[in-house]
Amino acid sequence: MNSSSTQLQSDQTLSMQSRLLAHAPFLVACSMLVVIVAIYGSLQTGVFTIDEINLNTAAAMTLMLAATGQTIVLLRGGIDLSIGGMISLGTVIAATRFGEEPANILLWSAIILAIGFGIGALTGLLISVLRLQPFLVTLAGWSILNGIALMILPTDGGKVPEWWIGSGYLEFLGLGTPVWILLALIVFWCWFRATRLCTIIKATGSSEKSAFLSGVSITRINIITYGLSGFFAALASLYLTTQIGGGSPNIGTDYILPSVAAAIIGGVSLFGGRGHLFGTIVGAYILTLIGNLVFVLRVSSYWQPVMSGVILLLAVLASSYAEQKARKRGS
Amino acid sequence: MNTFLSRNRLIFLAYIGMLLLVLITAFFSPGFLSASNLRSTFILASFVGIVALGQTFVIIGGGIDLSIPWVLNSAAVLMTLLCAGQDLPLIWVVPLLLAGGGLIGLLNGAGVALLGVPPIIMTLAANVILQGLILVFTGGTPTPAAPDMIKFLSVGRIRGIPVIALIWTALTVLAWLLLSKSAFGRHLYAVGTNVTVARYSGVPATRTTILTYVISGMTAALGGILLTGYSGVAYLGMGDSYLFTTVAAVAIGGAPILGGSGHYIGTVAGALVLTILTGLLPALNLSSGALLVVYGAVILLTVSIGSETFSEMWASASNRRKRIKEGTENG
Repeated sequence: MNSSSTQLQSDQTLSMQSRLLAHAPFLVACSMLVVIVAIYGSLQTGVFTIDEINLNTAAAMTLMLAATGQTIVLLRGGIDLSIGGMISLGTVIAATRFGEEPANILLWSAIILAIGFGIGALTGLLISVLRLQPFLVTLAGWSILNGIALMILPTDGGKVPEWWIGSGYLEFLGLGTPVWILLALIVFWCWFRATRLCTIIKATGSSEKSAFLSGVSITRINIITYGLSGFFAALASLYLTTQIGGGSPNIGTDYILPSVAAAIIGGVSLFGGRGHLFGTIVGAYILTLIGNLVFVLRVSSYWQPVMSGVILLLAVLASSYAEQKARKRGS
Repeated sequence: MNTFLSRNRLIFLAYIGMLLLVLITAFFSPGFLSASNLRSTFILASFVGIVALGQTFVIIGGGIDLSIPWVLNSAAVLMTLLCAGQDLPLIWVVPLLLAGGGLIGLLNGAGVALLGVPPIIMTLAANVILQGLILVFTGGTPTPAAPDMIKFLSVGRIRGIPVIALIWTALTVLAWLLLSKSAFGRHLYAVGTNVTVARYSGVPATRTTILTYVISGMTAALGGILLTGYSGVAYLGMGDSYLFTTVAAVAIGGAPILGGSGHYIGTVAGALVLTILTGLLPALNLSSGALLVVYGAVILLTVSIGSETFSEMWASASNRRKRIKEGTENG
């Protein structure tokens, strides 16, 4: 440090810098999103319209919902690969059980959400009681749920009523259903992040041992976090049925790793304790908009995975760089 | 002998489980024990086993390799394209592709060990980037047929023994030498147990970690080349199932996902268990969905048996006094 500057000033710049560093991964994600939108907007007309926002949010919403549950589990220091199976299972149950009656549909929607929470809670309980690694338990869970989905509906099919599909495309004040879901997610997170539960989840993610020694029931936290992850996966599956109009027994697999990637790109730490849903939402938008970018750049759509891989690497390098800096500063 | 047994009890259990499975399968489908059926089971298990060799090394070192599917697929596609059905180019194509797989592993390992990127993210990014590049390169079109030499290596026989079983046996011996008889093996277990302690004890941790990913890249490439001989052509997506099966084979073989213990000898049993299950279920008239459920249940069962909770019960049963001593140390 420069000795001529006063102690107070250097303290202030230090805290300012460390606060910036703490948010660095999120800021990197935001700037990547801005760059992508800027390129997209300069090559395509009508990007900055409400219609376009509705369209892209609709495309990103399943991933966002799935990634919301994943974010909660990542904050706790875990990982949930079973959401892929849950999303598949949710769509096939909806496609085979919904029928036409609105009351029946509401009932089955509630059942699907309950199954999601219940299976997630069971996963959390297993992880705690047998002290298992979440990666393998949820990998097994993915396989089992995907298998059950295939037994219910061996191939894509079934159907959901027209009005249910239409409910995904309603507009209110010019904003479509997905945008309202997004706003609801944001409101949910503003409330959730201030709750005691969220603090405990993050504390457990930072250090399970210290959380346990402070009297936190790890079993309870695991049941709640994996339960919430299953719940949001079920919610994602319900939304997905409005997009695909039926059931698809393997479709959930496409959301497992992207849900982790969206959270990581948004600055959620894979080691637990750090990050928030706003980052994940930005990450999900980035992953979705890359598809549009590939389209307007008139290159082969096969470049899309390449771009998302590079962005994932850039994001994680930025956050590990920031972490190393912060650690040096802290010590 | 007793400590040897208890240290490797998960591997023994994997083999006992495999033998039980063989008996059950033989009971339900009497044709299972015929020479031709055993041969085809062995051939199929060899692909899983060879590809899972690298995954075993990476997992023992405390990492995970999600880039296997498209390293495998890239090697298969490039091999058929470069050889165009001829045997002669194999002389340079095979070493080139193995080196290419090793290079991807080198990049993965460097990202993990030098830049501190979490293994899941690093290898996931490598996987999607490779996927995109291969899709761009081939334009999604199918490739020429596999050269006859590769077909011979995959499905050919020498004196009735499948050639690939000989390759697998040779690789198993090599893996055993590396893990149990070499300095690299000792370093690997040390790194997997605790990388910081290993580093302070003078273990070349960075080099060891990078090497595991290099091995994994090479075995994935080899698996891709050989698998092309089995299917006759290289097709896009042929490696996708190998992510799940390699991790499952390692898990069933008794290696904990956090690293530090386990052995390739266990993975061999894991690969055989997975393949026998695939053959058993059609005999029982069960669908592919049921197969996934059984896979998940088997993984869950084996990781539960290997869990700390069960390990303690095992320890208390086999050596009560020792456990009491540990109990007083811990609490």
